[in-house]
Amino acid sequence: MDALIEKLKGQIIEQLNLAEIKPADINPDAPLFGDGLGLDSIDALELIVLLEKYYQIKIKNPADGKMIFESVRTMAAFIQSQGKA
Amino acid sequence: MISAIGNNVSEAYVNLSNAKTGIGKVNYLNTRYKDEFVLGEVKLSNEQLMDLISYHSPALNRTSLLGIAAANEAVKHSGIDLKDGLRTGLISSTTVGGMCKTELFYGEMVNEGKHLEVLDSHDAGESTEEIADHLGIKDFVTTISTACSSAANAIMLGSRMIKHGMLDRVIVGGVDSLSKFTFNGFNTLMILDKEWCKPFDENRKGLNLGEAGAYLVIESETSLKKRNGKALAKVVGYANSNDAYHQTASSPDGIGATTAIQQALKMSGLAPSQIDYINMHGTGTPNNDQSESKATINVFGNNVPKFSSTKAYTGHTLAAAAGVEAVISVLSLQHNKIFPNLNFTTPINEFGLVPVTKVTDQNLNHVLSNSFGFGGNCSSLIFRIVNEG
Amino acid sequence: MKVKGYITGSGCISPQNTTEKDYFFENVNGPEVDFFKAIEPSYKEHINSNLLRRMGRAIKMGVSAARIAMTEAGIENVDAIISGTGLGCFEDTEKFLLAIINNDETLLTPTSFIQSTHNTVGSQVALIMKCHGYNYTYAHRGFSFDTCVMDALMNLEEGKNNILIGGIEEHTPNYVEIFRKGKKLNDNNSNKYFEGKTSGIQLGEGTTFFVLSNEKKNAVAAIDGVAFLYKPQSAKEVADKANSFLKTHNISLENIDLVLFGFSGDKEFDKYLLEMLPSTSKNSATAQFKHLSGEYYTANAFAIWTANKIIENQKIPDVIRINSVSKSNINLILIVNGFQGINYSFTLITKC
Repeated sequence: MDALIEKLKGQIIEQLNLAEIKPADINPDAPLFGDGLGLDSIDALELIVLLEKYYQIKIKNPADGKMIFESVRTMAAFIQSQGKA
Repeated sequence: MISAIGNNVSEAYVNLSNAKTGIGKVNYLNTRYKDEFVLGEVKLSNEQLMDLISYHSPALNRTSLLGIAAANEAVKHSGIDLKDGLRTGLISSTTVGGMCKTELFYGEMVNEGKHLEVLDSHDAGESTEEIADHLGIKDFVTTISTACSSAANAIMLGSRMIKHGMLDRVIVGGVDSLSKFTFNGFNTLMILDKEWCKPFDENRKGLNLGEAGAYLVIESETSLKKRNGKALAKVVGYANSNDAYHQTASSPDGIGATTAIQQALKMSGLAPSQIDYINMHGTGTPNNDQSESKATINVFGNNVPKFSSTKAYTGHTLAAAAGVEAVISVLSLQHNKIFPNLNFTTPINEFGLVPVTKVTDQNLNHVLSNSFGFGGNCSSLIFRIVNEG
Repeated sequence: MKVKGYITGSGCISPQNTTEKDYFFENVNGPEVDFFKAIEPSYKEHINSNLLRRMGRAIKMGVSAARIAMTEAGIENVDAIISGTGLGCFEDTEKFLLAIINNDETLLTPTSFIQSTHNTVGSQVALIMKCHGYNYTYAHRGFSFDTCVMDALMNLEEGKNNILIGGIEEHTPNYVEIFRKGKKLNDNNSNKYFEGKTSGIQLGEGTTFFVLSNEKKNAVAAIDGVAFLYKPQSAKEVADKANSFLKTHNISLENIDLVLFGFSGDKEFDKYLLEMLPSTSKNSATAQFKHLSGEYYTANAFAIWTANKIIENQKIPDVIRINSVSKSNINLILIVNGFQGINYSFTLITKC
C-alpha cells in the first residue's frame, strides 16, 4: 500500500502539473479537494484520466469521484480494491 | 438558419411546430464514439451543402458552408439590396472555425509536411470572410469567439454599431460545425448525455452537441424606412456580464446570468412581468440548468414567465446557439407560439420550475433569450414583436 | 467616435525587452532565423502557482501583461475586458488535437481543451480580478485587436470609465515549422521591409494589454479612433481610406507627425502600403515596426505600445525609422497596418 501511495503521489503531481509540490509535501490522509491541496472539479476529471491511463480503471460517473478522490490513501485503496495495484 | 431541425427557417418552423427533434444517430461525424452518442447534425453532407449554396470548392470547410447557407438565406429573406450603397457589416462568430478540417490533416501537416494549405483556413476569421466574400460585404467584417454566448454578443455588437451610427445595417449571428475536437473536449468534461438530453429535468445528465449556422439582419430605422422594408421584431434590450467564478462551471448562485438578465431588462425599460416567454440557455447539464434556474428566480421571483429550452430540438450548437435561439424567438413572436422544452418529465427538486412542454399558442410581445458560455460569459437579449399596419 | 481612450496603463510582452522598466529600443533583438519568439517574464511575479500550473503560454502572457497594465493604471478592477487573438491559445489547442490524433480519441485530459478556447485569456483575467463586467473576445485575423480598440471606444462613449484591452498571440514550434515548410517565412536577413524587396514574412508573437480610460490621469497619449478596410482592390482605396479617416478627426495627412507602417516583409502583401510611402514621406516622419515584433494577427497592439512610448519620449527610435524627416514635437501618430493584404487598419494616436 505504501509503495502504491508514493507512486500515486508522483503521478498526481505530474498529471496536475503541481510543479511546486514534492511527494513528501503531500499528506496521504489530507483532503485533496477543498482545503488540503485545493484541487477543483477540473482536477477531479484529470484524476479520472489518471486512473484510466495508469491503472486501466474507467470511471463512468464523475460523481463517484468524490469518495474515491477524498485523499491519496482512499485513491490507493480504491485501486487495490479493483485489483489493479 | 440551417440546423438539425431543417435546412432553412421554414423547415425549422415545421419541425418546431410538430415538436420534432433533430437530435439522433450520428451520420456524418467520424468519431470512434459515433454509435454511443446522439448529436444534432445538419442532415446534409459537405457535398450536399455545396449543392445547396450552388458553389463547389474543396477549400471550403463545413463551418464555412453552413455559414454561407444561413447568411445567404437571411439576406434573401430580409429583402435588402447589398448594392444600394448603405453601409453593411457582417459580425459572425464561431468556436470551431476550421478545426473540422484541420483535425483531419494536422497529423500529416506536422509529421509529413502535407496538406499545409489547410492551416490557412483554420482560424476563426475564415468562415466570416467566406461569407462576406460570398455576399459581397466589405464595409465592416469581424468575428466574435466567446464560446456559447458568441452569437448573442454578435447581435449585441451589431445593434450597438447601428446605434452609434457606424453602420446602417448588419448581418449578425454565428456558425459552428461538429468536430472531433469539440466532441472529445466536451466528453472529457463528462457533460455529454449519451441519450437525448433533458433540459431542466431533475434527472438530466448532460448536453447533446449540435451544429448550425444562424444569422439575422438588423437594420436602422432609417435604412428600413428608406427601402420601405418590414421588420419582424426589434432588439430592445441586451447585456453581457461575466460570472468570474470558474473556467467552465457556472456559479451556483448564478451571478453572471442574473446580472445579464437584469441589465438587459434595465436597458429595455421593461419590468420583469412584461417578459412573456424566456428561451433559456438550458443545455441540460446539471450545472447550467441549476445555475440558470437560480438566476431566473433571482430576477423573476415567484412570477417566472413561461419558459423553455429548445436545445432538445437542435442540440447545443455552441457559437451558433444564440443565433439559432434568436431566430426561434423571432418565430415565436411572429406566430405567437411557444415551442416546448422537449423530453421533460420531472422538475428540478431545488426549484420546482416547470417549462412549457407542448407547442402552445400564446400572445407574445416580449421574449428574453439567454446564452451562457464557458469562461463565465453571460449574455441576454430581449426581442419585441413589430406589428406593422 | 466623440471620445478618446486615454492610455493610462500598458503592458507588453514581445520579442523585445518591453517588460524592462523605461525600455525604449536601446537594444533590439532579431528573430531566431525567421521567428520572433516572445521574451517571457518570470510569471510567478504576476500569477499564483495554483493558477499558473494550468496555463499555457498565451494565457500566462495575457494575464501577466494585463497585470502590468493594471498596475501602471493604478486600478484594481475595470468596467470591461476586451481581448483579441487570431488563433486563440494555440499551444493547448495543439496539445489536445495531437492527443486526439495520437491516442485515437482516448486518454484525453480536459485541461488543454478548456484552456484552448479563444476567450480563455479574457475570462481568466476576469476571474483573477473578479470582474463581472462586459467581456468580449474578437478572433478575426488582422482585425482581432483593432475591433477591441473600436469596441473599447464605443464602451467609453456609452459611459464606462476604464476598459482593459489586449492583443494576444502565441505560436508553437509545429506551427512555425508548418509555415516554414509552406515557404511563407523569410530568412533573408533584410529587415528593410520598406524597400519592398523581400518575400515571405517573419512570424512573431506577443501579448500587449492597455487600460483605456475616459479621463487623462497620468496618460501621455490617447487612441482617438480606428478605421477598417477589408480587401481593397487598389492602393488608391487604401490611401483614400486613410484620408477619409483623418478627415473625420478634422485633420489631414500633412498634420501627421509620424506614420508608423505595418510592413510585413512580403512585398506582395505590402504592395498597397508601399505605394503610400512616397506621399507620406514628404511631411511626416515614417517608420516600420514588424521587424521588431514579427508578423502576427494582433501585431497592431505592439505598434500602439510603440506609438505611446514615442509620444512619451518625444523621440522616434532610429531603429524603426524609414525616412529622416525630423519633428520637434510628436503629437499625432497614424498607424497604418496591413495583414496579408486583406485586413487594413488605421489607428490615430494623439498626445494629450
